[in-house]
Amino acid sequence: MSKNKKIFFQILLVFGVLGFLGILTNNLIINLTRTGIGFNFNWLTKPASFSLAEHPLPYSPSDSYAWALFMGWMNSLKVIISSLVLASCIGTLIGFLRVGKNSFFRIITAGYITVIRQTPLLIQLMCWYFVGFLSIRNNSFLNLSNVVNISNKGIELFGLNLSSEFSALLFGLSIFSSAFIAEVIRGGIQSVPVGQWEAFRSLGISEKQGFIKIIIPQALPAFIPGLTSQYLNLAKNSTLAIAIGYADIYAINDTIINQTGRAVECFIILLCSFLILNLSITKVMGIIDKSIMKTRI
Amino acid sequence: MNNINPNLNTNLFKKIKNSLLAKSKYNFCNFIFFLISISLILKILTSIFINSNWEVVTSNLNLYAFGSFPIDQQWRPTLWFFSLLSITFITVYGPKWKWLRKNLIFGWIGTVPLGIYLLSGGLGLNPVMTRHWGGLTLTILITSCSILFSLPIGILLALCRRSSIFLIQKSSSFYIDVMRAVPLISVLFFGQLLIPLFLPVGLEIDRVWRAVIAFTFFVSAYIAEDIKGGLQSIPKNQIEAAKSLGLNKYQINIYILIPQALRVALPAITNQLIGLFQNTSLMAILGLMELLGVSRSILANPEFIGQYIEVYIWLASVYWLFCTIMAFVSKKLEQKMTINKGY
Repeated sequence: MSKNKKIFFQILLVFGVLGFLGILTNNLIINLTRTGIGFNFNWLTKPASFSLAEHPLPYSPSDSYAWALFMGWMNSLKVIISSLVLASCIGTLIGFLRVGKNSFFRIITAGYITVIRQTPLLIQLMCWYFVGFLSIRNNSFLNLSNVVNISNKGIELFGLNLSSEFSALLFGLSIFSSAFIAEVIRGGIQSVPVGQWEAFRSLGISEKQGFIKIIIPQALPAFIPGLTSQYLNLAKNSTLAIAIGYADIYAINDTIINQTGRAVECFIILLCSFLILNLSITKVMGIIDKSIMKTRI
Repeated sequence: MNNINPNLNTNLFKKIKNSLLAKSKYNFCNFIFFLISISLILKILTSIFINSNWEVVTSNLNLYAFGSFPIDQQWRPTLWFFSLLSITFITVYGPKWKWLRKNLIFGWIGTVPLGIYLLSGGLGLNPVMTRHWGGLTLTILITSCSILFSLPIGILLALCRRSSIFLIQKSSSFYIDVMRAVPLISVLFFGQLLIPLFLPVGLEIDRVWRAVIAFTFFVSAYIAEDIKGGLQSIPKNQIEAAKSLGLNKYQINIYILIPQALRVALPAITNQLIGLFQNTSLMAILGLMELLGVSRSILANPEFIGQYIEVYIWLASVYWLFCTIMAFVSKKLEQKMTINKGY
């Protein structure tokens, strides 16, 4: 394409997009003024006047909407980080068993992965919440004096109290993501050439030593891209918390929209929070990737 | 009987023994795990087949399949299911006639308008409002419509992302990145809320179609990313060869790049579509009566209150079955495509 043609196309595109956006904004302004909502962020400082079941920092209904949103953020981060850790542990274990020598474990893990991957997360979450926690009829399901106590009010672990919503979300998210992480781990290990296995065996290195010192370090770089996308998915999936009534960032946005009708502002807030979250996960994984690459000379 | 094949038994026993007790030092550990999993499986099986009451599923099969679709009109969704099943069957097991294979894609595209026509009525059929659509019918309708719309948009976005024109490239990659950053539930929710706000006064879109639009927005970004990967895998000399044959840019895209990119990206796209099928369940939170929504309303019925386990196992197996079928069809398609690579 010649340069003039390119410039012409760009100008045409700019006008087209601007015109389209103009029509949309015009409609939006008409509709907002018609319903009398308008567009501003002044409402953020007004009292939220709804209570939260779970808040890591002190919160009362007389606090502002902004503080409620911040509480939602903290709740989201809490569940994302803890299920990220748990999912990685379970996923790694299952991924290792999936490629291991033991055919019994291979079959079990393959079944686990297909069943978990082929059913919707929402149904799994509801199953954990309604079947797993709310249906514990007698007061306590598992009670080991002061160490762990599982009841329909949640989990008590070493005096740490986890609500049933949080625990259901934690288990649901971790188990769902662990199946995907296991596939990433399996793919990474299988990307190491078979010759490497044969080589360390012929050198007389034991299976365990060879796996830890020769196979894993070579598979690590192959884990990173897959893991990053799974962590991003996990963060996004955590918004399904609303289905079981956990007050995460999305659930609080939803409540605020129901109260004030400010859909556009709330959408912008949610968009920004998730852009920041995604960027930070990608950044952290990038740093990990770089440090792995450094050790490989 | 005992003398016929003594080896078989010992071999089988040895195999089981070897697989369970592969290494002497893991013996004990393995045995414990084996016992635990067997007891767990037994416990789950007894609770499924003995302790639970499946009436909540069996007496509501009609609701799960069609929602509140008028009973005398239910042959219409049934007919649509049947046409979908038959075209799937033809795709996987049908004869290898060339004209059939070439026109099969039109058959697939045709099922979507056929489904919309059969469900919404008009032109000789009794019209049925979208609020009566429900159950598995609605789930499949949302999935198929979103697939049909998001595939071409995804291809277009992927091509735009590789465009040499700066603004087109930047705007499409901005769109893809933003859509991939936000959670689906928020796209669906704000699709329901914001699409009416962006439309001129007086023009309204139905809830089901708003959901389809939101799904299309979301999935097309993911499909674009997969197709971008497919496009990148095509070696540069393909384009050079096409140019030297005198093809222009559009011909290169349509005849050379897109078919090969689609072939490479097919497994990834299928994964997206399976995800889309599972994610239609999110519409239950937003009040649409699809498979999960219907189940929630059934669970709210005092007659079936508290029977969560049965309903969720039933739902999970339905979703599992459909996802497995989709994965199977895509695997077959992949095999067929690699065979065709020869000419």
